[in-house]
Amino acid sequence: MVRLHTNFGIIELELDPERAPETAKNFLTYVESGFYSNTVFHRVIDGFMIQGGGFEPGMRQKPTRTPIKNEAGNGLKNGRYTIAMARTSDPHSASSQFFINVSDNGFLDHTKPNADGWGYCVFGKVIQGREVVDKIKGVKTGKRGSHSDVPVEDVVIERAEVI
Amino acid sequence: MAVYFISDLHLSDSRPDINQVFFEFLRGPALQAESLYILGDLFEYWAGDDDLGDPFNHSIATALAEYSRSGSVLRFMHGNRDFLLDGEFARACGGRLLDDPYALDLFGKPTLLMHGDTLCTDDLDYQKFRVQVRNPIWQKGFLALPLDQRKRQIEAVRQTSESEKTRKAPEIMDVNPAAVEATLREHAYPRLIHGHTHRPARHVHRVDGRTCERWVLADWYRTGSYLRCDEHGCAPVQLH
Repeated sequence: MVRLHTNFGIIELELDPERAPETAKNFLTYVESGFYSNTVFHRVIDGFMIQGGGFEPGMRQKPTRTPIKNEAGNGLKNGRYTIAMARTSDPHSASSQFFINVSDNGFLDHTKPNADGWGYCVFGKVIQGREVVDKIKGVKTGKRGSHSDVPVEDVVIERAEVI
Repeated sequence: MAVYFISDLHLSDSRPDINQVFFEFLRGPALQAESLYILGDLFEYWAGDDDLGDPFNHSIATALAEYSRSGSVLRFMHGNRDFLLDGEFARACGGRLLDDPYALDLFGKPTLLMHGDTLCTDDLDYQKFRVQVRNPIWQKGFLALPLDQRKRQIEAVRQTSESEKTRKAPEIMDVNPAAVEATLREHAYPRLIHGHTHRPARHVHRVDGRTCERWVLADWYRTGSYLRCDEHGCAPVQLH
């Protein structure tokens, strides 16, 4: 399990290393190295998801490790309160950024092993602190530089730990 | 910035709950959008722009006018219910009516907008009806009737349509796959966004070796929702 200490409260995540072995391992590596300390949820869209794990306050992007293989074909669905890896349009481009679904987002699930159908790999779920997630999804957001949906007041992951 | 798409709200004075969701949407989430596209059936029915004086219609037009004054671009497309919306309504809202289909560049990706009824080619009765009511001469004649009489006629058509829906096979009320393919081919394989069928989904079509994404917008029967597109792609977002 992983505990995220945020300035909105504590979110506890249960990972699924059986269904998403590489993704869970990758996430744990970032957690254990302290990478997520002082990073923000930088993309918050109520009714969709909250995304973080790649930027420091002030929208300073952090250098990441090598991208991982996309394990979205593992059968886990992008349901409400699940955690999945964010990525670019390349299916195998996830590194440190993740998102927590705040709705059932079935359109993000794996359908086909190609660029259009690969989907987003779910690797765990929120088991404690769902009310913290709900609080975060409701924050006021705006545009910051080239980024949209950036919380006006920083939503900070103060630290992350394996428990 | 993002662009939002909605359709099939079917607003009427008999559904105050969903009207409230719409007002809150315009005063809240929609303000984040640089443009809001309403792809048809904003209203349950529209008897003509001379019905803007109706208190309910007026309240919707006023809310949309407030929204467009805040700086977001507002665009409408006709639906199969509100095909008589015209310039006076668009002006009152500070928006503009679009042709169906309408092509645009959406964050560098060619995108085609439609209401979606023209894709339901298996519903022959409806397509026949559509040809009639979209004919400018028919519309001119109809709009020349007194407003009360138009409303009575619309009510009669709605009653028939509701009872026929239960009789029609569900598959003919969905899009025809060949019609979708032909549309995608004709418009050089764009991303397609449409409403009408009330079957919200993301479809991926392979046409002539090209891949096209098709987003079907959700209706506003139980709750509101919108499709949100930005440089990352599109995502349906539920309102609550």
